[in-house]
Amino acid sequence: MTQTRTIIIECLRFHPETDEAPYYQSYEVPFTAEMSVLEGLQYIKDHLDGTLTFRWSCRMAICGSCGCMVNNEPVLSCQTFLRDYHPSRIRVEPLAHFPILRDLTIDQTDFLAKLESVHPYLIPSADDDPGDQPRNQTPDQIQDYLGYAQCINCLLCYAACPQYGLNEAFTGPAALALLHRYNADSRDAGKAQRMDVINAEEGVWGCTLVGECSEVCPKHVDPARAINQNKIVSTQDYFLRFLKPRGRR
Amino acid sequence: MNPPRTYTRGMQRWWLRRPSYQFYLLREGTSVVIALYGVFLLMGMAALAVGPGAFEAWRAVLFSPLSWLLHLVVLAAFTFHAWTWFKVLPLTVPPFKTRRFPRGFSDATLNRMALWAWGVVSLVILVAALRGLQ
Repeated sequence: MTQTRTIIIECLRFHPETDEAPYYQSYEVPFTAEMSVLEGLQYIKDHLDGTLTFRWSCRMAICGSCGCMVNNEPVLSCQTFLRDYHPSRIRVEPLAHFPILRDLTIDQTDFLAKLESVHPYLIPSADDDPGDQPRNQTPDQIQDYLGYAQCINCLLCYAACPQYGLNEAFTGPAALALLHRYNADSRDAGKAQRMDVINAEEGVWGCTLVGECSEVCPKHVDPARAINQNKIVSTQDYFLRFLKPRGRR
Repeated sequence: MNPPRTYTRGMQRWWLRRPSYQFYLLREGTSVVIALYGVFLLMGMAALAVGPGAFEAWRAVLFSPLSWLLHLVVLAAFTFHAWTWFKVLPLTVPPFKTRRFPRGFSDATLNRMALWAWGVVSLVILVAALRGLQ
């Protein structure tokens, strides 16, 4: 049965060319039980206010585009349902801790630079070239990184991390989780190239284990675990360098 | 192309935004109590170095009614800190795999092992301290 009800969606609005600061605007949106917050926003854009700006693509929680704050909680708007909030109104804001470009869209430039800095791709060793043959892995070897490979770069973890909000230099949960994903892969030999990012003050040591990144992750990536296990890696690296011959890391 | 103008919202009173942030601050805040108690114990050692008079004065403070009350508060802070510390401990341990446990131990097992170790060590210290008092 599709019964239509009405919910008030309060959106944060900001136009960089006309607004000094963001403000809230409310819309009355008719909805049915199966409608997501994203569909509510699309209703606003199609029927009430064509200027409302937000990102979306797949509508099925895999593209990572539609992340926003709903009632202060970082969520994917495509898998958050209006029925769960009715009859209260909901407040939709852009992801916390990021610069707002316009309305609900944020500027991801900072994250993209950080993602690039962790070399998020396999770096095989030069003397380990299987040629045309596949590089086999055991199920155990796959399990070592599979969980961390689920990241969709939706940035909910950054919006949940107060350390990132307080210090923008912090490499942050998703980038560090992806760093760990490649280090934990048996086919990868690029750990040395990623060590500088891990060891930096704004690397794993910027994390104080608030733990909210893992709580809000829609793909259960557990960045908090990836980061804090690398604190041990970083500590070992620090002390072991005294034992290694000079000029080698 | 010039970068577009953006608006960054501040972090004013960020700890009010999620209850878990307040729990986190409480968890970290209890370490201040632990540090202060460490200073108090150091003062006792300093008093011992100064002389018997100073040490007796420190002991008088230690066994005052207010001190008993504060010790209960400190014990609560210590217990909460230790409990939450062991709760997050599994996140910090790289999975150590054995032949019998090829995937390492579960978080719950690690947490339980740590709590048991904590209990045993605390008991040993308590027994040793009680013997020392006699």
